[in-house]
Amino acid sequence: MKKLADFHVGETFEITRSADRYRPIYYAAVSGDFNPIHIDREVAQLAGFPDAILQGMCTMAWLADACTSYFGDPGRVRRLGVRFSRPVISGDTVTLRGRCVSVEGSVVRVEVEARNQRGEEVLKSAAAEAAFEE
Amino acid sequence: MPIDPRHVGRRYGPFRHTVSAERIRDFAVAVAGGVPGHFGAASGDPHPWSVDEGAAARSPYGALVAPPTFGVTFAMDPFALACADPEIGLNLVRLLHAEQEFEHGRVVRPGDVLTTTGEVVEVHSKGPLDFMTVRSETRNQAGELVLVGRWTAVIRN
Repeated sequence: MKKLADFHVGETFEITRSADRYRPIYYAAVSGDFNPIHIDREVAQLAGFPDAILQGMCTMAWLADACTSYFGDPGRVRRLGVRFSRPVISGDTVTLRGRCVSVEGSVVRVEVEARNQRGEEVLKSAAAEAAFEE
Repeated sequence: MPIDPRHVGRRYGPFRHTVSAERIRDFAVAVAGGVPGHFGAASGDPHPWSVDEGAAARSPYGALVAPPTFGVTFAMDPFALACADPEIGLNLVRLLHAEQEFEHGRVVRPGDVLTTTGEVVEVHSKGPLDFMTVRSETRNQAGELVLVGRWTAVIRN
């Protein structure tokens, strides 16, 4: 288990996750978000997208996984925030790269960049904070 | 069409959810690239404390703990209902999730009985885009604060 002294500004972490064709359907099953824009290509096209789009909350869950891999403990996260700047389309692959930006008091703060396989940002202002003991 | 500011203050809930170990595990597995249910090995790397009961039993929590965005399963009701509320009348085909913030209190574990209430706290427009923000608040069976969510939708007119 990590302690506060184990975190240093500038440390980085990275994960990659795929929005394979079934991901929005599996995520709908586990989250309860069955908005048809996520599971029905025709509805997504009606809304102006080439294919079904992944639930933003699934991309945010990837963000949480990236941060948890660094923090080492899913129960330490105190804050998580994000802006969904571009939809993740069925077939996309997203790479999340994070960096520790501050260790103040008992709080470790990270900022994360998330880009699809074309290098386009799918999240903005993605950040997390976790609290640790000395 | 801008959202009528008179909807600010509209409340939803309370909604009650009982958390199960299966739901936590399926959520973590599906997010990590696996298939929820009986075929549920993840291709990614879910945190073991959210999927492996043995590892979780040896953790400081003594049982599975929910991942940080598991709140979607128990705290989204007010946002979902506000988005679909005929009184507010948002165009669901033009609606996307724009922003999300969580503040976490107590960890969520199997057996927790969670109660969520929510309220429309902000509406505004920016050019052709209309925004609506719902704040949710969730407490566990001991009355402890578990999660505060700020859920923002955008309607692309």
